[in-house]
Amino acid sequence: MDKKVLWRVLLIVAVLAAALWSLWPPSEKIRWGLDLEGGVHLVLQVQTDDAVKAELDDSAQRLLSVAAEKGLNLGPTEVDLEGRRFTVEVPPEVDRDQLSEVARDYFSEYDVEREGARWTFAFLPNVERTIRDQAVKKGLETINNRVDQFGVSEPMIQRQGVEGDRILIQLPGVDDPERVKNIIKSTAFLEFKEVMQGPAPDRPSLLAGYAGLPPADGEVVTGTRTGYSGEALGRSFYLVKKSSIITGRELRSARRSQDEYGMSIVQFDLVPSAADKFGDYTGSHIGTPMAIVLDGNVMSAPTIRARITDSGIIEGNFSVEEAEDLALVLRAGALPASIVYLEERTVGPSLGHDSVVRGVRAGVAGMVVVMLFMLVYYRLSGLNANVALLANIILLMGAMAYFGATLTLPGIAGVILTIGMAVDANVLIFERIREELKVGKTVRSAIDTGFSRAFGTILDANLTTLIAALFLFQFGTGPIKGFAVTLSIGIFASVFTAVFVSRTMYMIAHSGQDRVQALSI
Amino acid sequence: MQIIGDTNIPFLSYRRVAISASLVVILAGLAFQLLGSGLNLGIDFVGGTQVTVKFRSAPDLGQLRATMADLDAGTPALQRFDEPEKNEILIRVENPEGEEGDFTAPIIELLHRDLNPGIGDGFDLNTRGAQSLTALLASSDPDGTGLTDEAAAEHYGPMAEAVLSYRKEHGIFSSLDELDAIGGLSDPARALIKDRAVLGEFALLGAESVGPSVGADLQSKAQGAILFSLLGMLVYIWLRFQLPFGIGAVVATLHDVLITLSALAVTGREINLSTIAALLALVGYSVNDTVVIFDRVRENLKLHRGEALEPVMDGAINQTLSRTVITSGTTLLVVLSLYVFGGDVINTFAFVLLVGIIVGTYSSIFIASPVALAIHKMLAARRERRRKKGRR
Repeated sequence: MDKKVLWRVLLIVAVLAAALWSLWPPSEKIRWGLDLEGGVHLVLQVQTDDAVKAELDDSAQRLLSVAAEKGLNLGPTEVDLEGRRFTVEVPPEVDRDQLSEVARDYFSEYDVEREGARWTFAFLPNVERTIRDQAVKKGLETINNRVDQFGVSEPMIQRQGVEGDRILIQLPGVDDPERVKNIIKSTAFLEFKEVMQGPAPDRPSLLAGYAGLPPADGEVVTGTRTGYSGEALGRSFYLVKKSSIITGRELRSARRSQDEYGMSIVQFDLVPSAADKFGDYTGSHIGTPMAIVLDGNVMSAPTIRARITDSGIIEGNFSVEEAEDLALVLRAGALPASIVYLEERTVGPSLGHDSVVRGVRAGVAGMVVVMLFMLVYYRLSGLNANVALLANIILLMGAMAYFGATLTLPGIAGVILTIGMAVDANVLIFERIREELKVGKTVRSAIDTGFSRAFGTILDANLTTLIAALFLFQFGTGPIKGFAVTLSIGIFASVFTAVFVSRTMYMIAHSGQDRVQALSI
Repeated sequence: MQIIGDTNIPFLSYRRVAISASLVVILAGLAFQLLGSGLNLGIDFVGGTQVTVKFRSAPDLGQLRATMADLDAGTPALQRFDEPEKNEILIRVENPEGEEGDFTAPIIELLHRDLNPGIGDGFDLNTRGAQSLTALLASSDPDGTGLTDEAAAEHYGPMAEAVLSYRKEHGIFSSLDELDAIGGLSDPARALIKDRAVLGEFALLGAESVGPSVGADLQSKAQGAILFSLLGMLVYIWLRFQLPFGIGAVVATLHDVLITLSALAVTGREINLSTIAALLALVGYSVNDTVVIFDRVRENLKLHRGEALEPVMDGAINQTLSRTVITSGTTLLVVLSLYVFGGDVINTFAFVLLVGIIVGTYSSIFIASPVALAIHKMLAARRERRRKKGRR
């Protein structure tokens, strides 16, 4: 074998070996897409308006309490979410200069307009953006925590969207999608609140003592448990203090446990600073009820029997799983804003499994037919093309494994399409060789011109297909991207195998012969 | 062996017939799309919810309709999925106008309410996951390991996985006795599952819900992808060949896309993300076919300088005819195998390619070259007029 051929053979062997090496073992190296393995793909939007509103509410309350500390008694506040501002009534007796000082010292993120008896606090422009951005970041972190604690292997969680307020979540292999969706979605904002009145069966009887309207520092919450499995356990109304004693932010840990009757409960520990606060409160309110409010719903309203400091329990007629999930979301922390699902794609593992079996069956059937045809039509040259085709598939899978590309259902279709189109380059070459032989060229020169003439065509034809594949990739969401990737890699692989590999095979077949008499084509 | 020998068919002389026939088909297709039922856009583009469930026994469609009537959304459409004996049903519902949210959960809740009324807090082996099953086993500890929660979860985890992978393979448990066939399950654990688990009537195969904002996004992206890939090819062929060839190739490809879309409209097949992927693959394939012919035209033009374009084109088409037919044939074979064996999920994908390859092969012979020729003549005539004007 002459040196030139030897180099070509070595290169081909090296490339194929590299492909096999990156591919082996296939069950570990080829990443299956969600549509084949089963799993959940979710796109959700963080309702950042919630965070903006919470910040405004919080600031309004803070203003009242800071001013009160300086002896300034302000009137009621009003939050205007649309205008990103809140207003406060300033009674005539309040010292304007002192209030200005408070505004300057404590509310630097606001632009304050002092108009007589009504002062308006409006967000400075970039503050709002920061709050929204922070809300998404915190949401991302919280969801990451929850998914991590639930135990999903290789989750993908990332921020996307023009506004940056969308989060894409991909959880492969999840077999109980409804449960995971609930865990991700629950805001999990836990508050412990002082009960001022209640429980009562309806709103009017609850507020009978307050002339039908809740007082300024109180709010009405209901105790309908729509819980995690949605069963209603009666409805009761409570009037609670607006400000919380402690919130879920101050939990150190939470876990599922059982009470003396075997019912599932959630047990929690508090961080030290909260433990002091909680101890002071419960110590001075023995005998009064306290509401445990989760996402605006009263879970339970136990009567305080003794001073509680660093730990406590939440009861709520939970099933084992509900208690488990509640403990999980409490540990992982609350979402800073509610979320809304924009897109959901769940593929049950059995559907994916079915798709794989059928896809592979279709691929193998198609390939066998094409190979048989090539063998019959081009005889030994057809064999050459078939070897090139096999090499092509090894390269394609190897490259996919190397780049960590995901094999999706359209991706399998892409592989099958590649099989059909990969022989195209060989067909172009063989037809050209036949033409050259027909005009009376020798076998060697027919092969030479056949390959060189066909090469230009193959290049042009494949580059145009590549353009389509690139736009497909650009467009790509999940499965489609997988198709674009397989198609693009397939194009490169088929140019290499059809042109380089099959040329080399001709060289090997004809080496040592001075004059090649006939070509099996 | 040879299927097509030396031919000398005057393809371009049929151009008036071919172009008229194509125009008639395209116009009829467009008329059907505009006046008839139109394109069946899937939830990927118009938004909506789609849930696929497998039942233990043949489902009662009337009862299912009644169940779904309780949804506060548009009328649900129920259709069989895959082969009838698999007892698989696809439920498709329009989402409430303009709203975003989780719309699959209510459907599944309704199914539970009406089909699994007696289950209550029972452990439904057909809808619960491996995590829940592990927790169930770990909390009752049938093997009497006496391990802590975490260690027990490690002990029972593989057993739960084994049960779930059985469901993964078969889609649904129709009887608890099927648990006997599962290896890797300890006898006490098997007995406990048999005792505690119940079998719900259905298992969830898949669920998809697309809200209006994502739907609008996908729609504009899909249009953009097709438009820009055509433009990209126009520019590439313009640079590598000449403008008339670029226009010829793009017109031929557009022709294929329009006819394939008409075929989708007529057969009422749904247009979803993978249909778009197939259309883009078709764009690539169709241009590929055309470029091979144009390449030969370019080569022959160099060989026979001064010859008119029309006979050169005819020659090139004839010379490449054998290749065109064989490549289309082999690709068609694999796509056909995809169409027949690929299953329901990928059927429309294969259909698009099937129609597209046939139409694409036709158009690269009968449409692309005539259009390129016409544009070429038009440009030549304009040049001629300018030249004459300049002389005067």
